[in-house]
Amino acid sequence: MDIFTIVFYVIAVVLTVISLVKDKKKTFAAMKKSKGMMGNMLSDIVAIIFMIGLVLTFIPPEMIKSVLGSANTLMSTVVAALVGSITLIPAFVAFPLVGSLVDVGASIIPAVAFLTTLTMVGVVTFPLEKKEFGTKFTLVRNGLSFGFAIMIALTMGVFQ
Amino acid sequence: MNIGTVLKKNKLLLLVALMYLTVLILSPDKAAKSINNSVYYLAEMMQVLPVIFLLTVVIEAMIPKEMIMRGFGEKSGFRGNLLALLLGSISAGPIYAAFPISKALLGKGASIPNIVIILSTWAVIKLPMLANEAKFLGIDFMILRWVLTVIAIFLMAYITGVLVKKKDMPTRKEKSRLLEIREDYCIGCGLCVKLYPEYYLMKDNKAIVIKMPERPETMQAILTSVEKCPSKAITINKQEEIS
Repeated sequence: MDIFTIVFYVIAVVLTVISLVKDKKKTFAAMKKSKGMMGNMLSDIVAIIFMIGLVLTFIPPEMIKSVLGSANTLMSTVVAALVGSITLIPAFVAFPLVGSLVDVGASIIPAVAFLTTLTMVGVVTFPLEKKEFGTKFTLVRNGLSFGFAIMIALTMGVFQ
Repeated sequence: MNIGTVLKKNKLLLLVALMYLTVLILSPDKAAKSINNSVYYLAEMMQVLPVIFLLTVVIEAMIPKEMIMRGFGEKSGFRGNLLALLLGSISAGPIYAAFPISKALLGKGASIPNIVIILSTWAVIKLPMLANEAKFLGIDFMILRWVLTVIAIFLMAYITGVLVKKKDMPTRKEKSRLLEIREDYCIGCGLCVKLYPEYYLMKDNKAIVIKMPERPETMQAILTSVEKCPSKAITINKQEEIS
């Protein structure tokens, strides 16, 4: 286990103990709630992780490098952002997925674009959002999110 | 739970299992290699899962969300923006779980930029999820993405505030029943059913209301379930609003 994971463990455990001391009942209620939510996601998480295994076996790293690598950044970034907009997988499993692609040589620019649009832009949730906030708000928010996702990605490319 | 719902709930896992079965028949070598690849990521995920779980619990138990929610009206300014950022970052669940809460806050006078901040931070910046991101993509990556995203969210909020006005938004349509569950938002966690099996039932992975509360003292119990629902899908409509 690397040092950051250990630090996160320490923080999480200390906070949980404080929470338990402060309000035992509330903490247990919260545990029940989180357990329900995470339990629902667990099967999808395991499924996606095993899919990563298949992808890494069947798609050679050279191909991932040539498609998602740094050679044609702008194009791959826009495509990654589009794919992120239409897919609806929990951000939860998106990190190992994206991490695995970066490990075998994908550029981080499309990776960031994908992560950002994945969560912020929702083509599937568009009708729901429209019902609550109206067409104009939904178009503006999703449109801006898409544009900014690409800008965030390109900026990260400059720094890394 | 019958077989049908179990299959439906795990359809992605089933699909992947079928893919593995096909690969196993056609090329056992590659199946073994795939499993090897997966186990590495599975182990990493299992390392970080307990942290995410504990952080979610702590946030849920210790942070007074109601207090934060009172802080962002039209005139709340930058402080309101920061509170909106905080509310989004500490909440759990996908972006659509934020819709009903944001809509309710809008009704209570929250400004449009603040709604954009809540929705966006809710989507991308999850405090417990930062542990996950740092684990798989590195801590530098996580911090840099966090900073850039926060800047982008503020810009988006102000632009949306200029372009969209409250008159562009639909008002809540007519209410029908005293107690209802908005199916679109129910994530099927089953908490309400566990708490009050008398009133709620799971059907096709979604909770439904099976009995209307009558006496005020049972209403209090129902209020608890409304509060506890992680996606705020349960709504109580006041008498005068029932048509």
